[in-house]
Amino acid sequence: MTVDVKEKPALLCGDAVDVDANGHAHLIGGLCVDCGNRTFPRAPVCCVCMSEKIAPAPMPRAGTLYAFSTVHVAAKKWHKPMCVGYVDLPNGARVFTHLQGDIAIGDNVEVAIGTVGEDENGPIATFVFRRSAP
Amino acid sequence: MKGVSVIGVGMIPFGKYPDTNIADLGWPAVKAAIKDANIDPKRIDAVYSGTARGGAMVGQRIMGRVGLAGLPIINVENACSSSSGALAQGVIAIASGAYDVVLVIGVEKLTKFGGGTLPLDEDDWEVRLGLSMPALYAMRAQRYMHDYGVSADKIAGVSVKNRANGALNPDAQMQKEVTVAEVLASRMIADPFTLLQCCPTGDGAAAIILASDKVARQFRSDPIGVRASHLTSGKFMAGFRDMTSPEITVRGAKETFEEAGLGPEDIDVAEVHDAFSIAELLYYEAFGFCPRGEGAALLESGATKIGGRIPINPSGGLLAKGHPVGATGAAQVVEIVRQLRGEAGPRQVEGARIGLSHATGGGISGFDHGACSIHIFQR
Repeated sequence: MTVDVKEKPALLCGDAVDVDANGHAHLIGGLCVDCGNRTFPRAPVCCVCMSEKIAPAPMPRAGTLYAFSTVHVAAKKWHKPMCVGYVDLPNGARVFTHLQGDIAIGDNVEVAIGTVGEDENGPIATFVFRRSAP
Repeated sequence: MKGVSVIGVGMIPFGKYPDTNIADLGWPAVKAAIKDANIDPKRIDAVYSGTARGGAMVGQRIMGRVGLAGLPIINVENACSSSSGALAQGVIAIASGAYDVVLVIGVEKLTKFGGGTLPLDEDDWEVRLGLSMPALYAMRAQRYMHDYGVSADKIAGVSVKNRANGALNPDAQMQKEVTVAEVLASRMIADPFTLLQCCPTGDGAAAIILASDKVARQFRSDPIGVRASHLTSGKFMAGFRDMTSPEITVRGAKETFEEAGLGPEDIDVAEVHDAFSIAELLYYEAFGFCPRGEGAALLESGATKIGGRIPINPSGGLLAKGHPVGATGAAQVVEIVRQLRGEAGPRQVEGARIGLSHATGGGISGFDHGACSIHIFQR
């Protein structure tokens, strides 16, 4: 299910994702102003040069699914079975993510906002990846 | 390494002890190791105690029980490498000349968490988003199956072998043999892993007494030499990493073999970190017991069974002996020492002279694993 992004719900991933005027989700990583290293998620310090000048930087919206598993046993708050995996983005970042819909290793996948569980505060929403439209 | 030997080992049978506190899990292993070493416990100069989730001052709590406190006690946390990391520190301390006799303890009580997967730190980015240890290893398995065309039933064979070994080990938590069909029919945990491909939740303790070569033969005529003692951390990699080849163990194995002046062909028996079925196959390859992509074929050939070319996890490994996280590294050494002394009974690897132990773990973002400690022993 897709969350109505106009409501701007609190996301599990915090400010690591942004939604543009067209309703498209964008992951926001970090770009080191001093050495150019890119990371996801954004960290307060650069893991290459220890600079603390890290600018928010939009990440590519699509990548390639490296590996995934359908998980049946996990904490109560997650919808199960839940599918999680690693997506490699063309800028070199690897993103751990929930996955939705039919997918296979090597698929082109694209970021969106989705609901992946529920706790005492209500639905748990975060970025997810789904197979890109052909 | 630099004149350090193992003179005593002891452990309690791994299992579920929900009504026993961690101090009372630990001291029987310590007492057994002291008896095994034939040593006056007053000769112990220092204690290195490893636990991942046992809390503060566990070494003191255990040593206080048996009236042996009042000496240096160092508590070590390094996830699944907690007690193997404690061992590495003990070896360094003796090799440095600071001490002649060191006690190493590994202890854990996981039943206090109830059932389910090992709780991880939600402060970690990927853990907060839903990563668990079964999911992490399952992704490795999926990529391995994809890259090398290996089917799930071949990976399940690891559980069959190790449960058969565990059935020969009175200290193992799981004492029953299983078939591939039973493994595959057990409850799905994280695809492709069914329940019997995941190490069980349990409690346990193990202890090791190290001595300098200068004094070792005062206590036992058959000290087991430490040929190499290695500890490292994973490298932080925010981008691509090959999940079918564990960086930390590949590097650790290479450096450990260099330190020992040995190669994989010299190892007679090994205990490796089979937290999940796929892990054992990845470690066959990481240690060079077979080439990349041939782990499943090596297993299927029977080479890694007791009696094969390179028996792996004769104790039953984590899958059958159990995996009380912080106790695992020390318990692996208990098995290797028993194998090298010829004390392993029905699971004895005939003529074993050189043995290897390997404990690695810690699921945190950006690392293959957080820690890895490898040791090589020789009789």
